[in-house]
Amino acid sequence: MKKITYLIFIAIFFSCESSREVEEVNLYSQRHYAVDELQYENFTKLTGIKVNVTKANADELIQRLKNEGDKTEADLFITVDVGKLWQAGDMGLLQKINNDIINPNINQSLLDKNNYWVPVTYRSRILVYSNERVDKSELSSYEDLANDKWKDRILVRSSSNSYNQALMSSLVANLGIEETQKWSAAIVKNFARNPKGNDRDQVKAIAAGQGDVAIVNSYYIGLLLSSQNEEELNAGKSVSVFFPNQGENQRGAHINVSGIALTKNSKNKENAIKLIKYLQTDEAQKTYVNNTYEYSVNPSISPNEIVRGWGDFKMDDLDLNLLGSKRDEAIRIFDKSGWK
Amino acid sequence: MSSKKKLVVLLLITLILTIPIIVLIFSTIGTNLSNFNYLWDYLLVDYSINTIKLVFMTIFFSLLFGVLPAWFVSTTNFKLKKIYDLLLYLPLAIPTYIMAFTYSDIVSYTGPIQSFFRNYTPKFAEIINVDYLQIEFLSILLSLSLYPYVYTTCRIAFSRIGTSYINLSKTLGLSEFSTFFKIAIPISRAAIFSGLFLIVMEVLNEYGAVNYFGVNTYTSGIFRAWGPMVDIQTASLLAVFLFIVVALFFILERYVNSKYKFNYAINTSVRSYFPNSKIKYVIINLVCLVPIILGFTIPIIHMLKNILKKSLNHDFFDVLSLTGNTIFVSIIASIFIIIFSILIQFINRISKSRLNKILGDVVSLSYAMPGAVIGIALILLFTIVGKFFETLFIGSFLVLIYAYVVRYMAVGISPIKSSFEKQPESIDQTAQSLGLKTANLLNKIYIPINRSAIIIAFLLCFVDIMKDLPLTLILRPFNFDTLATQTYEYAIEEMLARSSLYSFAIVFLGTFMLIILKNTLNKEIDVS
Repeated sequence: MKKITYLIFIAIFFSCESSREVEEVNLYSQRHYAVDELQYENFTKLTGIKVNVTKANADELIQRLKNEGDKTEADLFITVDVGKLWQAGDMGLLQKINNDIINPNINQSLLDKNNYWVPVTYRSRILVYSNERVDKSELSSYEDLANDKWKDRILVRSSSNSYNQALMSSLVANLGIEETQKWSAAIVKNFARNPKGNDRDQVKAIAAGQGDVAIVNSYYIGLLLSSQNEEELNAGKSVSVFFPNQGENQRGAHINVSGIALTKNSKNKENAIKLIKYLQTDEAQKTYVNNTYEYSVNPSISPNEIVRGWGDFKMDDLDLNLLGSKRDEAIRIFDKSGWK
Repeated sequence: MSSKKKLVVLLLITLILTIPIIVLIFSTIGTNLSNFNYLWDYLLVDYSINTIKLVFMTIFFSLLFGVLPAWFVSTTNFKLKKIYDLLLYLPLAIPTYIMAFTYSDIVSYTGPIQSFFRNYTPKFAEIINVDYLQIEFLSILLSLSLYPYVYTTCRIAFSRIGTSYINLSKTLGLSEFSTFFKIAIPISRAAIFSGLFLIVMEVLNEYGAVNYFGVNTYTSGIFRAWGPMVDIQTASLLAVFLFIVVALFFILERYVNSKYKFNYAINTSVRSYFPNSKIKYVIINLVCLVPIILGFTIPIIHMLKNILKKSLNHDFFDVLSLTGNTIFVSIIASIFIIIFSILIQFINRISKSRLNKILGDVVSLSYAMPGAVIGIALILLFTIVGKFFETLFIGSFLVLIYAYVVRYMAVGISPIKSSFEKQPESIDQTAQSLGLKTANLLNKIYIPINRSAIIIAFLLCFVDIMKDLPLTLILRPFNFDTLATQTYEYAIEEMLARSSLYSFAIVFLGTFMLIILKNTLNKEIDVS
C-alpha cells in the first residue's frame, strides 16, 4: 500500500511539473469543434508555438479566469457567444488590443468598439420553415412570429441556451424592454411545444409535423444537409432557410460572433497576439468556412457551398457588445413571459 | 493510538474532505437576495415541483427495474441466472446523459424506429410520431442507467435473508408474493433506501439530460443564477439550500438504517426457495430481460451501429489516449478515496466515539452537491490557498484528483463501512489480546478480512469517476480530455454519431470493471 501511495505522489508531482520551456500559448476555449484543433495544428506548424487548450463552457471559464487573477496561465479566451466576451471585458478580465493587430479586411461592423475582442467567425440565428406547410411569403421578421397566425406552429429551444439569450438581447437593444416583453409573451403563446432539445431537434420536429417554423443557428442546417444519415438529410431537405428582417427599412437578421480576446494577465502576450493574427488570415478563415458552416469575418472569403446556396443576407449591424450588456434584461423577459 | 490522536487524525481527514463545502457556505454570507427573490418569484417553485416529480418517477421506475429481478435472482434457480445477474449491473456503465442522448436519437423522427415504420407501415408510423422529450420518458431513461444501485443493494440484502426467514414464512402459509411484500421488502428497506439515496443524488445532480429534455429542475435554477445572471453567490446559496435538504434526507436514511437492523443469517447457502412453474419462468425472464435489453443491449447496439458507419473517420489513437487519461485519473482518485475511507472507518470502529461517527458521515455529504458547484467550491478554495502559497493550483492534476476525492467519497466509503460493521467485534478483541498493535490490526486483520468490500468500493469509485463530467470540465489542466468530456463535446455539438465511439469506450471500460466487481461480489455474497 505504501509503495503505491508513493508512486501516486510521484506521478502527480511529475504531471504538475511538466516542463514549460517550449514556446507556447494557453487558451481557454468555449469552442470545441474539430476545426479548431486543425487551426491550432496549422498555427504550430507555421510558428513553432504550441497551443494548449482548456475547453469548458463560457461561464465556467470566466469564473476560473476571475479567480485565478494575476496567476492565470490563460493567455486567450475564445467563445461562441460575443455576449460572454463582453462580460469578461466588463469584469476586467481582458486587455485591449491594438488596432494594428486587426486585419483591415474584416467587416468593420463585426468589430468591438472597445477593442477587447476580435471576431473570428459569425453565424446568424435564422428561421427555417416547412416546405409543405409554409409559404415563404408568409414570413417576414422575428417580430412577426408573435402574430396570431403562428399559433402552435413555432419551435425553439430553451431560454437557457445562450444563442437564444443573445437573440433576445438584440431585440431588447433594438425594440426596447417593453416592446420585447410584449413580443416574448406573444411568441410563447405561439409555441408548438415547450422549448426543448437542441437546434437540430427543432428541424426534426418540423419534419415530424410538430411545428412549422423554427428559430435555429444557420450552421446546424449546414450540418443536417451534409449528414450521412439519410433520414437526417431528408429532414434537412424538408425545410428551407429564411433570413428574417431583410426588408428595406428593416435592420437585418440577428448575428452572433465567435471571437477571441487577450486576457488581462496573459504571460505569453506575443505568442497570443500571433495566434489572434493568424486566425484572421485568409488561410485560417478558409479553414473555418471549409470545415464548419460558419461565415468568415472577411467578406471576401465566401462560405461553404451549402451556405452559399441560401444566398446573401443583410445582417443586423447592432453594436455586438449590446448582446452582452442587455443580457440581464433579456433573461428577465424570458422568465416573465414563461419561455422555459 | 490514543483516543486524542485518533480524533486529530479523523478531524484532519474530515477537514481536508469538507473544506471546499465550508468555503462555499462562507462565500454565501452577505448574498444580495434580490436575484434570489427574483428566481423564487418566477422560477424556483416550478423548478422544485419538476424536481420532485422527476425524483419520484425515477424512484418508481428504478424500483420496478431493480427490485424484482434482484428477488428472483437471489431466491430462485433458473437457467441463465448467473448471466442475468451480471448483465443487470451493466447499465451502470452508461452515464445518464449518454443514455438520454442515445435514446432520444433512437426514438426521434429521424431515428431507426420511426424511419423503419415510415417505410413499411406509414399508418403505424403516424401513431408513434409523437414528441418523446417528456419528463416521463426522461425518468425512465434516468432509471435505466441508475436502477443498478437498487439492484445491487437489494441483491445483497435478499441473498442474506437466509432460509430461516423464508422457512418461517412458508410455515406460516405465506405465498411467494406475500413473502416478498411482507418479509423481504420490510427486512430490506434499509438496503433499498440506501440504493435509492444514491439514485436521488444522481437525479438532483443531473443537468445535461434535463436541460435537453426541457425539464427545468432545481439544478437548472443554480445554473440560471450562475450563467446568464452572473451571480455566483446566489448560485452558491441555492446549492447550499439543496445541500441542506439532502443532508436532512441523509440523516433520515441513517436513522432508518439504524432502526431496522436485522440479523442476517449469512451462513445459509442460497438455493431455490420457491417452486418453479412455467408461468413463473416466463415472468422471471421478462422481469430480468426488460431492464437488460432497455438499459444495456439497445444503447450498445445503437452505439455500435454509429461506430460502424464508414463515413466517420474515427481517430482510434485518440480514443486510446483518452482511455489512458480516464484510467489514470480514475485509478489515482479511487485509491485516495479508499485510503481515506479505510482510515475513517477503522478509527470509527476502534474508537467508538459518537463524534467520530458523525465526522465519518459528514465526509459523504458532498455527494449531495451538484458536481459543477463542487467545482466552484474548489476554485474558491484554491484562490485562497493560491494567494497564500503564491502559486496557481487550479488547473493542475492535484486539484482535479482532490475534487474527485471530495465528490465521490460517499461512493467509496459506504461499502467499506457496511463491511466493517459486519465484522464481529470478537476478532478485534482476540487480536488485541494477542498483542497486535493498532497499525497491525489494520494491516493484518481489517484489510485482509474486508478485502472484497475494498475492491468493490474501488471499482464503484472508478466507474463513477470515469463517467464524471462537470468536475473534469471545470478543473482540468490544459490539453486534458477524458472519454466523458470528449463524448459530451461531440454530443452538445449535435454530433451524436461521432460521440458514439467515445461513449462506447466508456461503457466498455465500465463493463470491464463491473464484471470484476460482480466476481468480487459473488465471493462476498456467496452465490452458489
